[in-house]
Formats: sequence, C-alpha cells, structure tokens
Amino acid sequence: MLSRADAGGRIEASRRHPRRGDTGTAILLLLPLLVLVVGLIVYPIYRAVWLSFTDKLVGYPERFVGLRNYIYLANDDAFHTVVRNSLVFTVSSVALKIVTGLAMALVLHATWRWRNFFRGLMLLPWITSTVIIALTWRWMFDSFPGRGFFNSVLLDLGLLSRPVAFMATPEGAMLAVVIANWWRGFPFFGVSYLAGMQSIPGELYEAASVDGAGSWRRFWHVTLPGLKHIIIVTTLLTFIFTINDFNIIYVMTRGGPGTATQVFATYSYEVAFNQLRWGRGVTISIFAVPLLIAGIALVSRYLLRERTA
Amino acid sequence: MRDRRLSRRSLLTGAVGASAALALPRVAAPQIKKGANLRLWILKTYVEPTNKAVEAAAQRWAQKHGAQVTVEYFTFEDMQTKYVAAIENKNTPDVGQLETGAPARFAGMGQLLDLTTFARQVEGDIGKAPANVAPVTVLGGKTYALPWYIMPAFWYVWRDEFEKKKVKLPSTFEDAKAAATALNRPNDNFYGLGQSWNRTADGYGVMQGLMYSYGVGWANKDGKYQSIKNAKMQQVMKWATDIYKEGIQPADTLSWTGSQNNEAFIAKKIAQTSNGPSITFALENALAKATDAKDKKMREDAVANHVALPHPAGPDGRRCWGLALSFGVFKTAKDPEAAMSLIAHLLSPEETVRVMNDSHGQFSPVLDKARAATRDYFGKNENYRNFGRAAEWFVATGWPGPVTAAAAEVQASNVLTDAPAKVIVDKWSVDQAIDWADKKIKEIYDTLGA
Amino acid sequence: MKPWKIATVLGLVVFALIVLVPFWWIATMSFKTYEQIQFAQSIYVPRPFTWENYTGLWLETRFPIWFRNSVVTAMVVTIITTVIACLSGYAVARLRFPGREAIATLILVLYLVPPALLFIPLYRVLAELGATNSLMALFLSYPTFTVPFCTWLLIGFFKALPTELEEAALVDGATRPQALVRVLLPLAAPGIVASAIFAFTLSWNEFLYALIFITDETATTVPVGLNLLIYGDVFHWGQLMAASVITTVPVVALYMFIHRWMVEGLAAGAVKG
Repeated sequence: MLSRADAGGRIEASRRHPRRGDTGTAILLLLPLLVLVVGLIVYPIYRAVWLSFTDKLVGYPERFVGLRNYIYLANDDAFHTVVRNSLVFTVSSVALKIVTGLAMALVLHATWRWRNFFRGLMLLPWITSTVIIALTWRWMFDSFPGRGFFNSVLLDLGLLSRPVAFMATPEGAMLAVVIANWWRGFPFFGVSYLAGMQSIPGELYEAASVDGAGSWRRFWHVTLPGLKHIIIVTTLLTFIFTINDFNIIYVMTRGGPGTATQVFATYSYEVAFNQLRWGRGVTISIFAVPLLIAGIALVSRYLLRERTA
Repeated sequence: MRDRRLSRRSLLTGAVGASAALALPRVAAPQIKKGANLRLWILKTYVEPTNKAVEAAAQRWAQKHGAQVTVEYFTFEDMQTKYVAAIENKNTPDVGQLETGAPARFAGMGQLLDLTTFARQVEGDIGKAPANVAPVTVLGGKTYALPWYIMPAFWYVWRDEFEKKKVKLPSTFEDAKAAATALNRPNDNFYGLGQSWNRTADGYGVMQGLMYSYGVGWANKDGKYQSIKNAKMQQVMKWATDIYKEGIQPADTLSWTGSQNNEAFIAKKIAQTSNGPSITFALENALAKATDAKDKKMREDAVANHVALPHPAGPDGRRCWGLALSFGVFKTAKDPEAAMSLIAHLLSPEETVRVMNDSHGQFSPVLDKARAATRDYFGKNENYRNFGRAAEWFVATGWPGPVTAAAAEVQASNVLTDAPAKVIVDKWSVDQAIDWADKKIKEIYDTLGA
Repeated sequence: MKPWKIATVLGLVVFALIVLVPFWWIATMSFKTYEQIQFAQSIYVPRPFTWENYTGLWLETRFPIWFRNSVVTAMVVTIITTVIACLSGYAVARLRFPGREAIATLILVLYLVPPALLFIPLYRVLAELGATNSLMALFLSYPTFTVPFCTWLLIGFFKALPTELEEAALVDGATRPQALVRVLLPLAAPGIVASAIFAFTLSWNEFLYALIFITDETATTVPVGLNLLIYGDVFHWGQLMAASVITTVPVVALYMFIHRWMVEGLAAGAVKG
C-alpha cells in the first residue's frame, strides 16, 4: 500500500490540511463494496426493469412487449387482492408491533434486577430463523389437537367443543400470519424503544412530576415525544421490510387459502416460478417499488439528519 | 452415423425373428464408448426403497459398461420448475425421467432428441405401451420419450367404516359423495371424504379425473382449445364445491399440503381419499416396523381394512389421471448412445421387475413384456390387482386430445384447482369461476399456439 | 409504587410467556413419537419421552448435509461481509472525500432493496455465471443484504469512537491502513463482533435465495431443507420439530454470550440515527 515516504508526506499534508486527499484511499477501500453493489444489485435491478417490458416465459426466448405486463396487472383482480393483502398484512403487523413494543419497553425500563436477562430473553424471537417461526406458528394454529396449541388448550379448557381450523378461512389465515410476523418483530421494537427511553434525560421526568403530572401524563408528554425519532425510524424500516416479506407467508400458507394471504413477494414468486412467467413476475415486484421509494426517502431523511453533522 | 447403426441393428433383430428377441433377457445395448459419464434425473417418490432401487438399476448399467452415472432427484412439487430452470440455464441432464406433460412441453421447446428409431427397436424387444399411454410420448408422429410406468391414483377407503354403516363401496363420483354423507361423523372428528383442491397431483390430478370422467375437456381431439362453458362442467364444479359446502370434509381441507390427506386417512380421520399407492406403502411399512404385539395387531388390521379401489367413474366413463413416467434424452447430451443404452437397460423386463419389487405397487409398468413379467407381483392381493390394472384407466393431460405444450401449461398453471377454490373461498358463483377458468385457458392456448 | 411493581412483574411474566410458549411447544413435540402427535396423546408433557426424532433426523434424513451447508455458508458470508463492511465503514466514517454523503445514503438505500425484487434477475445473472445450484450462489448473493446492513452499523460505531488515538498513530508515522488495523479495530471490536454476529444470523436464517438458487436438495441449506421435509407424503412431524430445535440452539447459544454487544449495536444503529 502506501510506503513510508508517502506516509511522511501524507502526515505533513494532514498537519497542514486535516484529512484532505483521502480520495485515493477511499476508492481503494470502497472498491469491494462498489463491485458488489454494481454487479449484484444495480445490474440486476436494471435487468429486472428490462424483463418487466418483455413477455419472458421460461424456456422460450423473450420478446419486447412494452407495458403489457403493467396493464395486465393493473386490471387483474388477483393482483388487486395481492395489493390489499400486502397493505393489510403490513399495517396490522406494524401497528401491533408498535403498541407491544412500547409496552415491552415500559416493562423493561421499570425492571431493575435482571433487566439484561429479560431483555435478552425477549429478543429470542428476533434471532430465530423466520422459517422456523413460520413453522412453529403454523403448528400453533393447527387444527389437529395433537399439533395445534390453541386447539389443544381451548379444547382442554372446555372453551371449544370441536377443533377449529383457524387457518382455513381467509380472515383466519391473515390473522395467523400477522400474529407470526408480529411475534417475530416486536422484540426489535421493544429493545429500540428501551434504548430510546434510556436516553431521555431524567430531568425532563422530574420537571414533569414537579408540575404535577401523573405517570400517564408523563408518558404522554415526556416519553412519547422523546421516542418520536425512534418510533418513526423503526416504523418505516419495518414497513419497508414487511411489505416485501416472503418467508412467513410462503411457509405458513403459500398465499392461501385461494389468494387470501398472497402478497407481493409470494405472488411474484408464484408467477415467476410456478407459472414460469418471468416478465410478469418481475413486474409484480416492481409495483411495490413506489411504496418502497416513499418509505426509503422518509427513512433517509430522518436517519441522515444526524449523520451529516 | 448413429441412426445408421441403430437401423442396421433393428434390421438384424427383425431378421433373426421375434422369438429370438423374446429369448434375450434384455435389449442388446448399442456399443458405447468406455468412460461415458451420464447425468440421470429421476423422480423422488414417497417410497424411498423405490428411489434407491432405480438408482441401483442405473448403477448396474454403469458397472456393466465401465461408465459413470450421476443420479439427481426432482420431487413432485418441483418437477416442472426444476426442468424448466435447467433448460433456461442450459444444463439439462443427459437422461431425464419425464412426467406426463413434460415430453410435449420440452419437445415443443426443442429440447429433446427424436427417439423414433430407438423407440421402434425397444418396441421390438420389450413391447408396446397400451394405446391410451402412447399420446404421452409421441408428438407429430415422432417419438420423444420411452414410457416406463404409470403412477396412478386410486380411491382409498376404510372397509370397516363402510361395513359398519352398510354402505356399498363406491364406483362413481356420485356414489363417493353419497357414501361420504352417510359416513360423516363430525362430532367424532371423523369425516366422509378428504379431497383438497391444492396445487399438487392430489389436487389437479383428481380434478382432471373428475372432468374427463364427466366428458369435459378443455382441448378437442386435435389438441386445439375448446370451451369448457357447458352443462357437464357445471356438474363437475358442483361436485367439486358441494363436497365443501356440505360439511363432509374436515374444515381445513382446502389448505392441505400434498401429504395431509395421507395423514388424515391413515389416522382414520377421513373415510375416503384419492391417492397413489404410497398409502399402502406407508401402512405396510408401519406394520414391518411394529414392535409390540398390540401395535402389530393394530397395524395388521389397518393393512387388511384399507382398500384401494379403482378411481371413481363419471357418466362418461372411468378416466383417471396419473403420472406417466417416461425417459427422454436431452439434446445437450454429449453421448446420446450411452444415454439410449441406459434407457434400454432400465426399461428391460429384468430391471423393471427388480425395481417393482421395491416399489410397493407404486407403479404399473406399461411395456408389454415388462407388464407380463410383473403379473405375479400384482397378484398379491385385491389392492395390488387394482394397482396392476392402472394402465387401463389412464388418460393423459389434455384429453381427449394429445398431450401438447399448451395442455401441459394449463395443468401447470393451477387454473383447474383454482377454479373450485374461488367458489369455496372467495365465494364466487360457479358460472363466474368457469368463465374465469375458460378465459385463462384460452389465454394459454393463444400464447402457446396449438 | 406498589401497583406499578405488580404491573411490571405481571408484564414481565406475560411477555416471558408470549416469547417462550411457542418454543416450548415445538420442543415438547420434538420429544414425542409420531403416534403421540397424530393421536393427541400426552399433549403437554411427552410420556414416554423419546429421542428418536433427533436420532432419526440425524441418521435418516439429509439434515446433516443441510446443517453443514448452512454452517459453511454462514461462515464464508460472515467473513466476506465483515471485511467489506470494515473497509467501507472506515472509509465513510473517517475519510473525507467527495461523494461521501452520497455513499452513506446509498448504503442505507441498498439495504432496503427487497430480495423480492432482485431474486428473478439475480437468478439469471447467477445462472449465467454458472453459480446456481451450488453454495457459490449464496456466497455471491447473501452479501447483497448483509454488507449494507453491517456497513451501516459499523459506520455508526466508527463514528462514535474518538479520533485522537488514530491521529496520534498517524503522527507517529503509521499509514492509514495501519492506523485502521492497529488502533481502530481493537477499539471497535464490540461493534465488529456485533456486525459479524448479525451477518451470521442473517445468513443462517435466509430462505428465499436458497430456495430459488439451489434446486438440488443435497446441496441446500437448513431452512429450505425444513421446508422440503414438510411437503412430502407421509412424514415425521417430530423430526421436523427436532430439526427446528437443533437449528435454533446454536444461534441462541452464540447469542447468549454476545447479546450485550448485539443490543448495543442495535441501539447504536437505531438511536444514533
């Protein structure tokens, strides 16, 4: 790399002009990242866009068809269902996660002994493989009493006389996948909010108490505003990830029954790999991009405000 | 060069006479270079001993010829996608086992070698397949694959349940539905039927059997699109949706995976279901593994009590969809002669019988001499006799027309099982669903021609 | 004060139950026989207790191969990711060059690009490279999501570290790379470990790419293998549960030791913005 002589000159330079002329080093250091990014992200995106304008059917050569895929999907009621499902799935999961995340953070914040232990314990769902989480919850909701937790317990408690097939109806299936997604994600929210709460200065609470605010008012007027930044960031991040989630729904329901839980990612997979229509499959994912861009733009604005300091 | 040598051989065998050919235990293999290296793709069935037996048969060929065979598997779930991915990536195997619609599809894509001459030789040595199987492998007068066996579906029932309620064993779809209603005991968690309209052969295979038995086809005799908007299809859809509406099935049947009907049947939660012989295998296997006396007795009862009936008939006849497995050679094969030699070896009656013995009745060979050689095996009991007769009721995808790329695509697109699902789950009317399905089928035929 | 204490304890108990009950459910089932599960015997505590699912899984199925593949992939990807993330993170955090902010934004944006958009064209690219149907496909594709995330994490970490020690090293005649390795890395060790653990976990748990890029079931990873086990014919629920337990245990164990750092890393990323 740089020789001693250069180092000498460089240090001279840095004494006079701190940290200028780093571009060479920077390029060198960033090279692997740029190669990765251009070759395996940017280039595929470009090809994705190109594919969306063709009628590529696997095994046959592709033909340019312009906007045909887009028009087809815009008029396809299966796709309308997919969009609706994706939004329902995402918004419900995120809402649940915010609320339970706050609750979890409050509980942990108020815990003195073994806080680290409990915080660690509660992160368990977050580190578990999504496939295993999906399988687990599929069994939890199973309709055979030997396999389904809820059926076993409710039957034994006498609250049910016959096993219920929770995932057999569209609503039930959506509820099941939302719960699985929520369970997987709320610890991340909880831990983030906890970290946020811990960085709220104690004086603000004291000041509020002095002003006569009870615990609820303190929460509303001190805690929540203090967490505003985190809440926004985590919500946006989760929204972005969930709207394109594949694993949970694919493993739990494959998008069924019918198309009741089909979302962007699973439908794109189905069209591309089962119906072998790559042109249309890619277009499905591209439809989610505007939502994505909006989300990314917002996140960037919030997260980068502090970075550029 | 290749064709010349083969035709000389068939001339020779023809000259020597049919009886001489009969005397040969297996097909005289074409000369292949030593050190040939082949990739063979075979179906991974649910009966593990069968898979191992096929692999062993292939390795025997390899040893005999000083060649190498690498066996790779595909499953029921990914059999379409895996091949198509290989075609897309230009790394197709040398020899591939092809399911019912695959020869049509892949030959249509120009991927398979024309095996007409080789097929004639095999015909001379091992015999022909029955007429209803031939359409699978012959396209436009040319043969693209050699059929080996059929893996059909049967109608499994628990005899004791039928006897208890004095219900006759069903022969038609209407019988089956009536029986299901009679045997239904939801309070005991026992249901009369377990038929899922899912995206596996248990779903689209039965749907096709239902359609064809009622005389409905989405393609005509020439393989061209014809509309399914008729009264017979209405009857088909009625059967397909009534079994859900009338509560004679467990509530979550529609979301069953490929294996859940097996489990439900074996656990005696349903009285009837359509399935391949793998249920018999599972029961026989469990009996073989049973340790204590009580367990053993329970399993013996299960084996004795379960009946594999011929698949139900409809007003138009008894037609059952099944997997017809054949061997094709891909154009990317570097050593087509070795490939054909391997196929001839596997199709020989001797090898077929060996694999059969490990198959627990899963598959029914189709070439004459192989069928003859396995007659004893299928005489074991009533179930096995039905297994052996499977070729009689077999019809291929796209009945009454030939198997075409478009027909195979219709099956692969899941439109057949999605149609009843839309009525059951999304509460569409039967007419709406039929219209929707018809539109989708027409679209496929418009894109793929034929 | 008292009512809050009770509420807190209650809250802890409820959350602990919510988190633990599903794990307990699969663990319990992993110790039951097929019959016990099918016929709903001894639902809550398996009696008799059996290890047959674990032994069966290890001896009769392809699980050991899948496990090995998952381990290999996770390790290779973690190494690739950590190296790239350190280099890139250092460059963005410490060096001044035109376009620095743009790169920082780009890294964040890249993390947010969904695999669901990329998987089809990425499949074609990898096929053209001849990488499909082998772990190489994963070695190449996994960094597309691990590197942006870990780089982002490390940027935050590096920025939080004081620059004085580095400056001192530079003044003493070290080159930048030397300063990076001798001074910064030891200081940033917790962050780097956290980043490595994240990369490992993301890799270990990944499903979609493994499902699509690898079709040969002897060459695939555990998540896909598990999924394959389900859609067979008659099969073993108990073994599937056992597989779930076995797959989760290493990550949990790993995590027990470093969860502190991991949480700090998370917090650094989330809080510090």
